[in-house]
Amino acid sequence: MIEAEALVKRYGSKVAVDAIDFTVRPGQVTGFLGPNGAGKSTMMRMIVGLDRPTAGRVSVNGRLYHEHRAPLREVGVLLDAKAVNGGRSAYKHLLAIAATHRIGASRVREVIGLAGLESVAGKRVGGFSLGMSQRLGIATALLGDPATIILDEPVNGLDPEGVRWVRTLMRDLAAEGRTVLLSSHLMSEMAQTADRLIVIGRGRILADDSISSVISEATRSVTRVRTPDPERLMATIAGPDIVSSMLADGAIEITGLSAEQVAIAASAAGIVLYEVTSISGSLEDAYIALTAGEVEYRSSNSSGSGAHK
Amino acid sequence: MNALETPRAAAPAEHPPRFVDVLLSEFIKLGSLRSTVSLLLAIVVFGLAVSFILGVTAEGAGLPDGPSVGFMLDQVTIGTVLFGQLLAGVLGVLIISGEYSSGTIQSTLLAVSGRGTVLAAKAVVLFLTVTAAALVAMFGSWAVTYPLLAALGIEVGLTAPGVLSALIGGSVYIGLSAVLGSGIGALLRSVAAGVATVISIILLLPIVLSVLPASSLVRNFHLLSMSKAGDAMSSAPDDGGIFMDLADGYVSSSAGWLVAATWAGLFLLMGFLQLRRRDV
Repeated sequence: MIEAEALVKRYGSKVAVDAIDFTVRPGQVTGFLGPNGAGKSTMMRMIVGLDRPTAGRVSVNGRLYHEHRAPLREVGVLLDAKAVNGGRSAYKHLLAIAATHRIGASRVREVIGLAGLESVAGKRVGGFSLGMSQRLGIATALLGDPATIILDEPVNGLDPEGVRWVRTLMRDLAAEGRTVLLSSHLMSEMAQTADRLIVIGRGRILADDSISSVISEATRSVTRVRTPDPERLMATIAGPDIVSSMLADGAIEITGLSAEQVAIAASAAGIVLYEVTSISGSLEDAYIALTAGEVEYRSSNSSGSGAHK
Repeated sequence: MNALETPRAAAPAEHPPRFVDVLLSEFIKLGSLRSTVSLLLAIVVFGLAVSFILGVTAEGAGLPDGPSVGFMLDQVTIGTVLFGQLLAGVLGVLIISGEYSSGTIQSTLLAVSGRGTVLAAKAVVLFLTVTAAALVAMFGSWAVTYPLLAALGIEVGLTAPGVLSALIGGSVYIGLSAVLGSGIGALLRSVAAGVATVISIILLLPIVLSVLPASSLVRNFHLLSMSKAGDAMSSAPDDGGIFMDLADGYVSSSAGWLVAATWAGLFLLMGFLQLRRRDV
């Protein structure tokens, strides 16, 4: 369980995290989602005490990170896979960390096996690909068999097999009752891995809910209809909160009415329909809708070309 | 692939880090990098090599009439201390600023969140390993020059008065130079800036102070520098009873211990304050 209360981080006049409250619960995978510079990493660094909050507090299992007597037993963390001295072997890197908590060499070999690094464990980390470094980072996070696991962009640089491995691992860890928090800007990955989403932008929480709620609240469901008599249909269904528009291909897009409601209205008015389709948003649509205006680094012409389909 | 071979049900035994655990961790780190191991070896190799060359060429150095503790110690300690202090200082810088440049400091502080504990463990491991390497260099230097001096009839044994204390003092000085370096490393966090600073403090500061256009008393402040303390520690102690006389330009070997320990301790303290104050 991770609990943040009124968490603030300021760098000079720049506010990276702006009075945030959230709770990450055990037994499920929670995803941190947000554009670059939204404050995801800063938030994770504050959870584990590497950055000090300007105000507010964030606790893990009821205590500040540094109050845990054996932190590796409580929290496993991967913040930056490349943050390992390239001159050291993977095995020695893990062994040095394990030594602080009297974790034996057998557990070190176990996590190496778990991460699929057996063949390279004796090699210097400097020669590792980003994917191998991610595996080493995940092995490091699991070293103390912690109840809470925090991973920042764990699938970055992983091959498809590795991505699937991380996904399964996260699901299994959550199923064992652990608290799993991971960040990503890969929407599809989040949609497949996380149960719950915390969407942040410019240091504020934009949404904090289950994946399906986030999608349904942030995107409009649209009903798409084709009829030989569009003008009459649009007049029939017209009302407050109902917007209908004619598309270039002759179809009508209606918001504010479900496919069933449109079909019933058309039937009552004796209008023939060729097609009635309910189109719901994707996580990506939800994300774009939520973070519109919150993106810190936007390519100048992307909004123009992306909005119209 | 299975998720976890050991399910959470088998709750792990809590082993909060004790200081010796952190020491072991730092020792594993020191011993698992080519750069740090090479610097430790270099302290031994340079010490032995320079002492050997000085010993071979001793005849040109103005030989004393008979066995002389001072002459022998010059042969044995000058090269060892000169190179040892710089190599040790650089190693000290590397041990901490290297963690910042590589990012390893994150894993270090995640495992042991007490920043003072981490720095203290690093300083202890550094001091012990560097002093051990320096002892090998010092006593090895004595051993390789012994037959060379014996051929000239001016050999001095380890039991001669002041010899042991000078060889040990010189080694401890090299160990303290490493601690000084680690303080600077924690303070500056950059390998390049740290190395430049440690070399300036050890090598340049005494030279600059001694050529200042000031009174001789002010110039004699160079006697309070790190490397002058090293000279004093690696010399046979006088039994004159004077601790230190700046006006007269004299620093006893016990005063040297105090001065060197103060330098190392001061920078370690500044490094600690910086480490505690800043985000990682």
